[in-house]
Amino acid sequence: MTAATPMEMRDRRFGWMLTAPGLALLAAVVLFPILWAGTTSFFDYTLIMPGYDNFAGFGNYAKAAGDGEFLHAAWITVLFVLAVVSIQFAIGLLVALMLNDTERGKGVYYLILLCPLLINPVVVGLMWRMILHPTLGIVNWLLSTVGIEPVNWLGAPDMAFWTVVLVDIWHQVSFMVVLLLAGLSSLPAEPYEAARVDGASALQRFWHITLPMMKPVIAITLLIRMIFAIKTYDIIYIMTRGGPGTATDLISYFIYRRAFVSLDLGEACAMAAMLLIVIAGMTALLWRTMRTAQDD
Amino acid sequence: MRPKLAVLARHLVLAGFSAAIALPLLWVLRVSLTDKLTAYKLPPEIGQIGLHNYAEVLTQYDFGKWFGNSVAVAVAATLVSLPAAAMMAYASARYRTGGWPLLLGVLASQMIPPIVLVLPMFLVFMTLLPVPGLVAITIAHVAVNLPFMAWIMVSFFDADTRSLEEAARSDGASRWQAFRMITVPVAMPGIIAAGLLGFIMSWNEFLYALILGDHGSQTLAVGLASMETHAGVNIAPLAAATLLALAPVLVLLPFLQKYLIKGLSLGALK
Amino acid sequence: MKRILLASLSGLALAAAAQAEEVNILMEAVPDTTYIQQLLPEFEEETGIKVNLEVVNYAEMHTKLVPQLVARSGSYSAIVVDFYWVGEFYKAGWMQPLDDRIEADGFDTSVYVPAMMDLVGQVEGTTYMLPFYNYAMGLLYRTDLLEDEANKAAYLEATGSELKAPETWDEYLRQVAFFTKDGQYGVVNQGLRPDPIAMEWSNYLFASGGSFMDEGWHATFNSPEGVAALETYIKNLNDYGPVGAASFSFDEAFNVFSQGQAYSYITYNFFRAAVDDPSSSAVVGKAEIMGVPGQTPEEGGSLNGAWGWAIPKSSPNPDAAWKFLQWVESPEIAKKRALLGGSPTRLDVFDDEEVIAKYPQTVALKELLLGSHNFPTFTYTPQFVEVLGRELSLAVAGEKTAQEALDTAAAEFDEMAAKDGRQK
Repeated sequence: MTAATPMEMRDRRFGWMLTAPGLALLAAVVLFPILWAGTTSFFDYTLIMPGYDNFAGFGNYAKAAGDGEFLHAAWITVLFVLAVVSIQFAIGLLVALMLNDTERGKGVYYLILLCPLLINPVVVGLMWRMILHPTLGIVNWLLSTVGIEPVNWLGAPDMAFWTVVLVDIWHQVSFMVVLLLAGLSSLPAEPYEAARVDGASALQRFWHITLPMMKPVIAITLLIRMIFAIKTYDIIYIMTRGGPGTATDLISYFIYRRAFVSLDLGEACAMAAMLLIVIAGMTALLWRTMRTAQDD
Repeated sequence: MRPKLAVLARHLVLAGFSAAIALPLLWVLRVSLTDKLTAYKLPPEIGQIGLHNYAEVLTQYDFGKWFGNSVAVAVAATLVSLPAAAMMAYASARYRTGGWPLLLGVLASQMIPPIVLVLPMFLVFMTLLPVPGLVAITIAHVAVNLPFMAWIMVSFFDADTRSLEEAARSDGASRWQAFRMITVPVAMPGIIAAGLLGFIMSWNEFLYALILGDHGSQTLAVGLASMETHAGVNIAPLAAATLLALAPVLVLLPFLQKYLIKGLSLGALK
Repeated sequence: MKRILLASLSGLALAAAAQAEEVNILMEAVPDTTYIQQLLPEFEEETGIKVNLEVVNYAEMHTKLVPQLVARSGSYSAIVVDFYWVGEFYKAGWMQPLDDRIEADGFDTSVYVPAMMDLVGQVEGTTYMLPFYNYAMGLLYRTDLLEDEANKAAYLEATGSELKAPETWDEYLRQVAFFTKDGQYGVVNQGLRPDPIAMEWSNYLFASGGSFMDEGWHATFNSPEGVAALETYIKNLNDYGPVGAASFSFDEAFNVFSQGQAYSYITYNFFRAAVDDPSSSAVVGKAEIMGVPGQTPEEGGSLNGAWGWAIPKSSPNPDAAWKFLQWVESPEIAKKRALLGGSPTRLDVFDDEEVIAKYPQTVALKELLLGSHNFPTFTYTPQFVEVLGRELSLAVAGEKTAQEALDTAAAEFDEMAAKDGRQK
């Protein structure tokens, strides 16, 4: 590393000055809980007998890694995250592109799509349970008027999984739209004008201009939605409690139960730490691909 | 002819999407105007329609208090975290401050299920930092939202404003002025989007609000959830409360109109 | 100087305490809470103590309570304890013993239904709680369908016996099959895991003559009776109930019943009052509740359930909390709560003429309670409910046989009971 010039030194200092307030805030609020959780993951720590008398080493980690139910929850979570993030992204990008090119009625569309985002997940779950009630719900009744048999939305394992995916899409798809639309509307106009002069088609413009320039925003949008999807637990809690059987048992709900039903915080913290390592690894990978694409 | 067709196709897609979002809410509206018996009656009948659920929510429940608490927490948390996150994001995007480990580390705090963090945080607020419930919830929300907002904005500050900033700097602007006068306006859609999503995250956050709050500081998320009880769900008042709780959309709309909805083209600025 | 400062500080603290004593209690929005809310002004006037009831979602109460109880000093003066948290709270030492206070103030606990004191009163001979309200489960059934002449004739034809409120479990099951006709269901079940299905199935277990465990805390619910109970449960749910009952919580199931679409529903006894609420029920005056029938007319199959009042160790003001407990559980207030519609735990309230005159079903509810069975309560009850709910749900979903599911749950029960030092 070459010695920094005074200019670079000042740049660096300015950067840290800008970073300091946020960092200080985070350090004050979450640093202790994280260290606490990390420490606890190495002890036999239950809420019934809280204490650091029994050092467990990697015992909690081994126990979690050998727990079939935990691994099953992890697998269900992978499927859930893949399903919701990819479908939401496809719909979200389409709607954002359409909205970006629209003038009339844009405010109304935007207003409508914001609504689900402002409803608490607990309420979303309760409302959908009402709407999808197999015998008393409006959806099955409407289906019956066109001769479709009542759908067992939450009572059959495969269907329940897709119902939860559907409700999550309804609730969160607008998150994608908001971010992607913000990204689209801050794109510079010149490349498009140049492309128009060259006679590029809409598809070509999308593929060669929009997509490359949107890459950072798309990557961040996907990443944040992915993290939120992994942390999904309220909707599961209200709609299925992980059932029927274990068909919708997502990992966050599993860890929640380990911590506050079994009161086994040591193991819950170990599971959380394992989850952290996986997500952080994926984030680092995504970040690097994004950066290299950027610096090309 | 073709552009007209394209416009029509766009509106068809958008209308279809909006209908998918709005129809369930229309059913919620219908339930909010009736009672539980009628809400579940099939084939649906109109029954007696009235505003009694709205009256019940406003008089029998602490809806006003919940709503006020939620607004206070979400606004305060957003106002504190947005500037801090914007500065952090800018430093990272422009000066690579801390490099990727810093950004990753910041976000890592949010990759942990909050359920394992809430207990130590509760103990801190109980013993070391005995602040009122609303303050505690706000502080927690700031910590939850800041990393996400910073990450969102990094991607917007990545937009190439470097040459503009350098031009300003050679005209004698300080680094701060360049950031404030050049970069922030250009990245405004991203900043507003981050602020909006931060507000929404705080508005809906349940676990910290539940654990750190007390009887005076219940937010809407906690209050509305209490309408699901051991003796059933008070679905009709809950439907009314859900719709009342959508009011912030209308308040937010002017801001969004200016920065997000109208569409801000960078070309215009240059 | 220092002393003066300290004195003035403690003086300030005293003044603050004298000025406004407040009692904070975490509760949920059930009818019994509302009745207390209505009566609170009396207490506040009598004692000058202000009571704040913090109302949260039922399912989240435990999550909200645990950090408060773990902390050395919390914000709740008193708490309400669901019966299946009792073992856990006891083991963790989160509740204050009440015996000294009971003795000093001459509070009479002998008036409580003994099963209530076992469930949400005493643990290992020490009193930690006062029983607040009971939610023993019962059988809600449609009296109008039983009285219908056409039904009576058809039933006699089909089964050779008279149609009346069922006296045994088998008779009830025959009626369930009989009433599944013309778009109507014989029964509606609540198959959501973990507690709705686990609690409901417990009635099936007891009614089939099974039990959860033997004297030495070894699991017995995977016995032939248990397997039969689960097979019956699955058959009822799939053949005689509405589509989707496997995902129903009490709310969905109750709505099916209250819309008049099902003959019967095994549920918490406080839903009896909701049946007569015209804003939520189409069967006002057409349904009654009874204990879940057992193998013989003498035996009952109901599951007991209740909430208790307790003072947590972390209570900032246990004395004021005790004042409130004494008041809320006093004969007068307990009776007033029952008259408002509350679910009693005291024998004197059950036998009170005014209460019976206003709510004739009180007699049946007392019978129901006396004939009910307790769920195993130990340190790991919540965890066991979770395991049982999961396995029952797997069996209902067809992913395991009844025997496999119950064997798994039984093995895990034995493990937990052993870990808790219960097994002999």
